[in-house]
Amino acid sequence: MQSGAYLSEQEALFLSVTEQLVRPFLQIARISELADQEQWQTVRTIADSYLQIAESYALSLRAHGKITPLKLEPIAVSALLYDTAHSLSAFAKQYGVELEVDAGTRQQPIIADRTILQSAMISLGQVFVLAQSESDDMAPVRLSAHKSRYGVVAGMYGSASLGAESLRKARLLQGKAHQPISQLVSGPAAGVFVADSLLQVIKTRLHVAKYHNLTGLAATLPSSSQLQLV
Amino acid sequence: MNVLLIEPDVVQAQVIGKALMPLGHKVYHVASAQGAVHVSDEHTPDLIILEPQLPRHNGFEFLYEFRSYTEWQNIPVILHTMLPTSELTAPVLSRELGVVSVLHKPDTSLSLLADTVQALIHA
Repeated sequence: MQSGAYLSEQEALFLSVTEQLVRPFLQIARISELADQEQWQTVRTIADSYLQIAESYALSLRAHGKITPLKLEPIAVSALLYDTAHSLSAFAKQYGVELEVDAGTRQQPIIADRTILQSAMISLGQVFVLAQSESDDMAPVRLSAHKSRYGVVAGMYGSASLGAESLRKARLLQGKAHQPISQLVSGPAAGVFVADSLLQVIKTRLHVAKYHNLTGLAATLPSSSQLQLV
Repeated sequence: MNVLLIEPDVVQAQVIGKALMPLGHKVYHVASAQGAVHVSDEHTPDLIILEPQLPRHNGFEFLYEFRSYTEWQNIPVILHTMLPTSELTAPVLSRELGVVSVLHKPDTSLSLLADTVQALIHA
């Protein structure tokens, strides 16, 4: 997908299909709000999570195609991670996964499109929650931001093996894998793909990252030195 | 209070209606711009909830046309839409079309929509 280009026929088709998929999820989510039973809360959480992934994919296509303009603004990454954790909380609870935010020391603000960055982090977070729920240990998923030489590194970490392979699968979906892989792409690769695709809109990419003893996926977001002076 | 709900998705319209009617509102649902004009003639709305992505009609064009009638110029409008809010120019919507609130559907629970309706009607 080329940044700066308008939608290709295939992208336009994907956008149309995705927007079509959003509708039933939205209907289910809203219908479930009218019922009190606990089961309906479960239905709503499921519908909301798939609505989010479909919406995020549609957003990435619209942004790549310049249908949705970028709205750049100063963002405190730590606050964004807390918002992300809040958005993911019902989904994580449903799967019995704990979320922890480690925003580290005070970081410089970054300049980015908040909606796109937030959507990318939520998409990534869902992947980690699902992967963690399928692993044997009950370690939490950590949302972390820390300083690096190149900016603020924001990402997700867990004990489940989500790292280079997931990223390769996701890149394969974009036809950008550096190495050929034989397996069919399925499962959490779609969420990683959506997150990576959204991050490309704001000129960054996902990369494999280490945090203490955990492996994860993160994006390096250049700090705004001008904002730091303000 | 009369709420005119312009929503092409019948399922969503039914659900929204069920959320608003217990609050004492009469919800008149139409799926098209033409229907909206007919219903407004019969039952002047106190508030409009509009999905601007309408079949065979652009909801914004409809709103410009709707506002050309003097008796309908001051009815508050909530945009309840699938369109990303970043694609909407809020000052224009507010100044020229009387849109008082923009709610992105996937981020808007029924309770948030109901609270917004209540706040605007009692403002």
